Amino acid sequence: MNRSKDLDTIAPDDLIIEAKEESIPTVTPIIEKETKDFKPEIKIIKKIQFKDKIYDILGHTKSPLSSFIVNPETFDFSERNEDESILLAIRPHWVTNFSWILISIAMLFIPSILRFLNVLESLPFNYQFVSILFWYLITFIYVFEKFLSWYFNVFIVTNKRLVDIDFNNMLNKHFAEADINMIQDTSSSVKGIFGTFFNYGTVLIQTASEINQIVFEDVPNPSKVIKVLQEIREVSEL
Amino acid sequence: MPYFLLVQKFFFIACSFLYFIFALIVVKQVTSMSKNVHDKFNPILISFSFIHLIFSGILIFLILLLL
Repeated sequence: MNRSKDLDTIAPDDLIIEAKEESIPTVTPIIEKETKDFKPEIKIIKKIQFKDKIYDILGHTKSPLSSFIVNPETFDFSERNEDESILLAIRPHWVTNFSWILISIAMLFIPSILRFLNVLESLPFNYQFVSILFWYLITFIYVFEKFLSWYFNVFIVTNKRLVDIDFNNMLNKHFAEADINMIQDTSSSVKGIFGTFFNYGTVLIQTASEINQIVFEDVPNPSKVIKVLQEIREVSEL
Repeated sequence: MPYFLLVQKFFFIACSFLYFIFALIVVKQVTSMSKNVHDKFNPILISFSFIHLIFSGILIFLILLLL
């Protein structure tokens, strides 16, 4: 009588029925025959048409300070792959700068107001001069920092992925990306008086990638951005 | 020199040195931001950050000279 060799699973008195070696299924290579006709020229034409479509949707923009930079020639980002081309770069709407521009104008007038109110009179002239110079430097850096945070907060749409680059307070960098093919759902919202009046809002993109949500905030014409994203998805599926 | 002005002088010197360090950080940050996102306007921004650094250096000089 044959006994089990595997003592962990079978009791010593169990009868063993020798297992017949199962025939290993032979893997036969299946060569898929391409049934579809390969037409690369159609793809190229569609991609050219697609670029024109983006221009039709968003218009031509050439200024480096524009909120929309369509098919940029000089704009680039360090994480871009060599085979990747930038289709669209989006910055927040210029109206979002309105609050800090007002504050900085007020800051410019503060020394004059203090002089008018004779607050600085108690200090010697040298101290007054240095204080005012210091104040204007602080005003400058406030303006500069606010401008930088607007200028370098960009949402980039390439032919392969969506990229969100944020610099918060000049010291923190936030980088998020999602593959174009991973886009599941897009939605937009326009809120508030300014948002409705100047037509800017948030574009929310649900993805199937690790970062399951990419949010483009204060984007001008959110509905147009969604339309562009839909076009990109259609082209990428070709 | 009145005690109040002496305190103020030290305050100005300390603040201007801190501000100079801050200006250095700004230069570093703008250059690193420009490396991450390239655009036409970047050289102007970098030059602005350097001008700001120069002015913060002039501020230290003026404080030491005038006050």
